[in-house]
Amino acid sequence: MSLNTLAQALVSGALLGCFYTLMALAFSMILGVTRALNLAHGDLIILGGYLGYWLWSGSGLHPLFLVPVAAAALLPLALVWHWLFHRLPEPRELSSLVLTFGLSLLLQNIMLALWRGEYRLIASESLTGSLSLGGLRLNQGRLIVAVAALLVVGGLFVGLTRTRWGRAIRATSLDRDAAALLGINVDEATRTTFILAFGLCGAAGVLFATLHYLYPAGGIELTLLAIVLTIWAGVGRLRSVLAAGILLGVIEALTLAWSGPRWRELVVALMLLGSLLARSGGLARGWSH
Amino acid sequence: MRRGAWIGIGLVAVMLLVLPPLTGFHPYYLYLVSTALLFGTVATSWNLLAYAGQISFGHAAFFGLGGYGAALASLAGSSPWLAILLGGAVGAVGAAGIGLASARLRGAYLALATLAYAEIWRGVAHNWTAVSGGGAGLIGIPPLPTLAWLPLDFTRGRAGGYYLSLAFLLLVIAVFWGILRSRLGLAFAAVREEEERAGLLGVHPLPWKILAFALSGFFSALAGGLYVHMVRVVEPDLIFSRYFSILPLVMATFGGLHTLLGPAAAALGLYLVSELLLHPYVPAFHQLPYALALIVVVLYLPGGLAGLFPSPRPSPPSPLSSPPVGERAGGGGRHGAA
Repeated sequence: MSLNTLAQALVSGALLGCFYTLMALAFSMILGVTRALNLAHGDLIILGGYLGYWLWSGSGLHPLFLVPVAAAALLPLALVWHWLFHRLPEPRELSSLVLTFGLSLLLQNIMLALWRGEYRLIASESLTGSLSLGGLRLNQGRLIVAVAALLVVGGLFVGLTRTRWGRAIRATSLDRDAAALLGINVDEATRTTFILAFGLCGAAGVLFATLHYLYPAGGIELTLLAIVLTIWAGVGRLRSVLAAGILLGVIEALTLAWSGPRWRELVVALMLLGSLLARSGGLARGWSH
Repeated sequence: MRRGAWIGIGLVAVMLLVLPPLTGFHPYYLYLVSTALLFGTVATSWNLLAYAGQISFGHAAFFGLGGYGAALASLAGSSPWLAILLGGAVGAVGAAGIGLASARLRGAYLALATLAYAEIWRGVAHNWTAVSGGGAGLIGIPPLPTLAWLPLDFTRGRAGGYYLSLAFLLLVIAVFWGILRSRLGLAFAAVREEEERAGLLGVHPLPWKILAFALSGFFSALAGGLYVHMVRVVEPDLIFSRYFSILPLVMATFGGLHTLLGPAAAALGLYLVSELLLHPYVPAFHQLPYALALIVVVLYLPGGLAGLFPSPRPSPPSPLSSPPVGERAGGGGRHGAA
């Protein structure tokens, strides 16, 4: 592999990593606040992508305008998930996995019914060009997605660290009982978390649809990626998630450069199993220590 | 209900299940009921593993390993009967492998590991083209042969697969029944209820866990091996499909975790309702019952359908409804964190 190919893979992987960060944050926020694992996470993103595709093909608007629309469109589902997760029996991690395994199946079926399982891509002309930068060719679409993802992540970072509701979410995530004792309205913080997380899923879906073909069963891979990132970064650490996201993007780009796209899914699953075994299920560390 | 009544109901059910091929069922319906029986087999073997406290999200791995093992053996010229048995052995080894590798994982983290394991095998089957045929899979798997020493009606056409899947279901139920009544069942229950205390009492959890994985993998893989001889093709996305992970979990929890007959009954009921009643009319939503059944069980019916019938003995607490002692505050991931 030439040096140029390597640099190319590093840059495009880092750009992809920004998107992965956006995608994983929603998963880790819900995990932090509710101690529940949402296996339907990737399916929600694909659903957001399909909504974006549907609006884009109907209206011809620039995909970036559709990001907030798709984010808003998933909000009713946020309330459904909140209602369901509120009733989860102990042990919550396991029962949430079982419940959301079923919800993931349900979402896949609905998408299959609505969009007939065809592969869809938001192939907007404004995203297909490429820029040349010091010998490297940057895919314009990937660059725009990365910038949009970074803007959303940055906005979330400011919101979570500087505002009242953001602090309430972080406190609830850290220790729910202590937060409640200190007079924080943990129920409201939980609801806000679901609304934010589902908005992130919708936004990530539209961005994903400009990068990759959508198909109804494609969600599981995104879910596994989100879990891998959460294991690597811990729950509720925004900057670590960004670092882990970029690392994952680079690893993926290097895998692609070395061996082609066929190995992608296998590498994701291997990384998940390896990370789980290496940390003995350390997903929980963010809130139990 | 009294024990005799249960035995009577069971015998009537078995006799009813023996009839269809003899009474000239349409081959398609015969195939549907056979598939339901295979799902019953996988659901019961899933339940056997859950009885030892291990919740799997990856039975598609075992089912698919059995399918590929049996298909490869059959294509290499072995008799289908032997091939299915070999597939079972492959599945048992594969299941014992993930059981050993994930020895330190519990609860949700073990579930995630098994989910990843099934995806890994799907990826391997996609990429190891020389052996698995890649994404296109393997075709030309021979059908089950007819047997000269049996009346032709028992092995002709779809009947052979039907009776073999019924036999597998009865076999796994009998094995589970035996386990429930033996010291092995006590060991499994001890591992499930309190792993550390079981260790102190001299029951080392790991060998029992691996044995539970191997047994569960073996029966799931038998079902997989038979399945590929019924559909006569094997493809990664068909045989390592997540449905073979999700459906056994749904059926076993809906029918009643740790119960002997609940998973098989729920498998037959849910699968046939989905395929016979919903698929012809609302094809897009025919899998709705599985998702709804899971939601109902997790939120409202911790014991599954079996929880509706009061049992004479107190049933063991389900891992989905009762918090393990001492883990309520810390969560399952804390144990074994280095």
